[in-house]
Amino acid sequence: MIEIKGLVVRYKTVEFKFDDYKFKKNMISIISGRNGTGKTTLLKSLSSLIEYEGNIKVNGEITYNSQEPILFNRSTYENIVYPLRIRNLDLNLYKEKIDKYTRVLSIDHLLNENALKLSSGEKMKVSIIRSIIFNPDIVLLDEPTTHLDLESIVELTTLIKELKNELTFIIVSHNSSFVEELKDEEYRLGGNHVYS
Amino acid sequence: MIIESTMKAVELLFSFDSEIYTIIFLSLAISLLATATASFFGTILGILISISDFKLKRFTKKIVFTFMGIPPVVMGLVVLLLITGPFDGMNLLFTKSAMYIAQTLLVLPIIVGNIIISSEKTQKKILETATTLGANKYHKITLLIKEIKPFILMSVILGFSRALSEVGAVMLVGGNIKNDTRVMTTYIALNNSMGEYSMSIAMGIILLLIAFVLHTLLARFRGDFYD
Ligand SMILES: Nc1ncnc2c1ncn2[C@@H]1O[C@H](COP(=O)(O)OP(=O)(O)OP(=O)(O)O)[C@@H](O)[C@H]1O
Ligand SMILES: [Mg+2]
Repeated sequence: MIEIKGLVVRYKTVEFKFDDYKFKKNMISIISGRNGTGKTTLLKSLSSLIEYEGNIKVNGEITYNSQEPILFNRSTYENIVYPLRIRNLDLNLYKEKIDKYTRVLSIDHLLNENALKLSSGEKMKVSIIRSIIFNPDIVLLDEPTTHLDLESIVELTTLIKELKNELTFIIVSHNSSFVEELKDEEYRLGGNHVYS
Repeated sequence: MIIESTMKAVELLFSFDSEIYTIIFLSLAISLLATATASFFGTILGILISISDFKLKRFTKKIVFTFMGIPPVVMGLVVLLLITGPFDGMNLLFTKSAMYIAQTLLVLPIIVGNIIISSEKTQKKILETATTLGANKYHKITLLIKEIKPFILMSVILGFSRALSEVGAVMLVGGNIKNDTRVMTTYIALNNSMGEYSMSIAMGIILLLIAFVLHTLLARFRGDFYD
């Protein structure tokens, strides 16, 4: 589903070399590693948001949900349907899905609020739903549990498990119980970065 | 003397002297038109500069920022040289059109510069997010415009303030001709030089009132954004 080969990312003072790896379809792959080992860097290169050397083969549409949720200055609902609107999809067909996801993550009462006014945890949930609503093939979640309370983490776990048959997840997380619940495969980072 | 002149100024304002109101109207009309034109092109230009990568980008930005602070009288001089030089045939010297052109050029860098500054702060993350959700270039430009809308409105108001309050450019290319190209600021300058302070104060009061309204609007947009 995603294959990386000889992947290298260079910043001004540090260089990351990633071990070759295949992320499998309909599996939940966890990327682990300490702070600064390049997890976000890896996700961003997988989704072509940064420049890299080497080969990344991706089958299908991929989307990256960032560590700090970035929402647009409009309602929660409009944030969620943004990917549908730019694809000219019929929003009515997604009504049920939106209802369900927002209910599972307990943000269904916030649909009409301006998204920039939400709490950090609520923002993360909106951003996650926006990432999965349009059925991408691969979803990259960068620390989705930060800002989430314990119940919300359980709710998110449920949602991801339910979607597992349709989507492929690659998740960065430091939350061990969340990781244990979901992990099919693990890709560990560390030690492969060189400072110049 | 200040009190006396101010009293006379207020009297003048309520005398509905047609010359004064013609001058106010002309000032507002030229500055509004100039700001509207500069805002339209400036917004597009500002967004294009900030989202595109090109060779002379840094240099272009420096030029824009320099022109944001150009003294109006220098801009007036540039336009004067142009309309009496290469564009001599168009007979623009001492016309309202020349004033409109000079003010448009004066406001343009203010809009472009402010939009570059504001969109560079927000655009990287917003554009990255849009990209990963599948947006194309057109979607990204419209999204960015919506996201920085309060900043655009703010720069438009700043631009209008500048146009309305400058003397140098309109004086040089318009010539301050009575009942023709005379606007509020050139009127003040003229009356002042003739010792007619009450006239100046009357116009000054109006300019202040307009500035007050504009800045109230500005504060509102700012509030909108940081809310
Ligand atoms: N654009 C950049 N320019 C220069 N250095 C960068 C850039 N982005 C990241 N780095 C550096 O690369 C290193 C790894 O960053 P990255 O965000 O990939 O780490 P991470 O594993 O996601 O860490 P965390 O667990 O804290 O999120 C950091 O030391 C960071 O300073
Ligand atoms: Mg990270």
